Amino acid sequence: MSEALLYIQTEVLPALFRGFGVSVALIVPSALAGLAIGILGGVLRVYGSTPVRRAADVYASLFRGIPLVIQLFIWYFGLPYFNIYLSPFAASVLGFSLCSGAYHSEYIRGALLSIKRGQMLAAESLGFSRIRMIVSIILPQAVRRALPGCGNEVIYLIKYSSLAYMVTCIELTGEGKILASNSFRFTEVFLIVGVCYLLMTSVAAIVLSRLERALIIPGFERQRT
Amino acid sequence: MPLLRIENLSKRYGQREVLRGVSLEVEKGDLKILIGPSGAGKSTFLHCINFLVKPDEGRVWLDEREIHPERKRELYAYRQKVGMIFQDFNLFDHLNAFENVRIGLTKVKGIGKEEAGARAILELERVGLKEHIRKYPAQLSGGQKQRVSIARALAMDPEVMLLDEPTSALDPELIGEVHAVIRDLGANGMTMIMATHQIGFASSLASEIIFMENGQIVEQGTPDKIFNDPEQSRTREFCSKITDLYGERG
Repeated sequence: MSEALLYIQTEVLPALFRGFGVSVALIVPSALAGLAIGILGGVLRVYGSTPVRRAADVYASLFRGIPLVIQLFIWYFGLPYFNIYLSPFAASVLGFSLCSGAYHSEYIRGALLSIKRGQMLAAESLGFSRIRMIVSIILPQAVRRALPGCGNEVIYLIKYSSLAYMVTCIELTGEGKILASNSFRFTEVFLIVGVCYLLMTSVAAIVLSRLERALIIPGFERQRT
Repeated sequence: MPLLRIENLSKRYGQREVLRGVSLEVEKGDLKILIGPSGAGKSTFLHCINFLVKPDEGRVWLDEREIHPERKRELYAYRQKVGMIFQDFNLFDHLNAFENVRIGLTKVKGIGKEEAGARAILELERVGLKEHIRKYPAQLSGGQKQRVSIARALAMDPEVMLLDEPTSALDPELIGEVHAVIRDLGANGMTMIMATHQIGFASSLASEIIFMENGQIVEQGTPDKIFNDPEQSRTREFCSKITDLYGERG
């Protein structure tokens, strides 16, 4: 027993700590970029001209429709055919951002469609240009409505970031796999890895629900209880 | 010289002709009241005037300058000069009363936040909402919401106001406060075109009553003429019905 503890203390924790750092470094930029891409994609899918809308629709269906591992393989193993070499980390962030953006765009699209037409007429009647109206009037409301769905997507992202080790970006799961294969202590190692992910998703869930509460529009509280 | 000249506006939705060549000239300080049954095209007419609905045909001049809606910059500048009030208020739900009024000034006119804020407070005071400026639309009554929307339009310094049944979504008790604001506007010389069923209010204020039906102007004239001595039998029929419904005139 003490041998196991010692192993965990000296080998597992330092490695997992390192992996945890890499995971966070993957997740944070991917979540932010994914959300930005999602908002842009959602707006284009609703308000774009027909060809733009089509293109954005194609983007969403491609990146939602192809398994993420395959996407990562394409970015990491496929791009070198075109003489583009991405580091495992860059390929992972790119893959996560684009995939996450496709999902976010769907939540944003739904939220945009739910904003009443009257507010757009009012903005236009004041002399708002289309872009300004979308940015100042529609998006602030739509993002609030999309937040529960987008939060869900961020939590998914935390979990599917574990796929990065498939393209040799050694993050939490990657470190765990190496440790476990060396020691054959699969149960101990992956239990700890699992707890680490649970920790991350729990923190994300708390932050997101705080954010949601902070952004409630006065007078609309009751709809949420 | 008419301030606003509208010529031959037409609008079709599929087979249905909603507007059939409506023309109107509005002098500075006029208050034109549009009356007519639902579906007569009053609302579409008002929406076509500032191109919120794109007319199939027709031309519009403001201050003798023709408006070309396909030139976006011109269109946005024109819309700033034509305030619009909607039946269901259409306040921006995520902004409080103060921000609702200020946002047009900061985002459209590019005025600094402080100056715009001072103007917003002024306009909200003018419509009697000084104590409610920090409230959000969902916390305001219908009459208060409509007054915020009037303040929001006025802050842009419009030359003309279009009012699309501003009180028809309101409880009878709240109509008075909105009417008082509109009356005040008229007294200050604001040029307005208003669609309404409140003919008592209309006849006491209007410089001209315009009776519309089936997308056309059937008859227009002074309140006295339209309500007491109309030429068209259809006008008489409509007016007597609506007088029964909406009570005494004057």
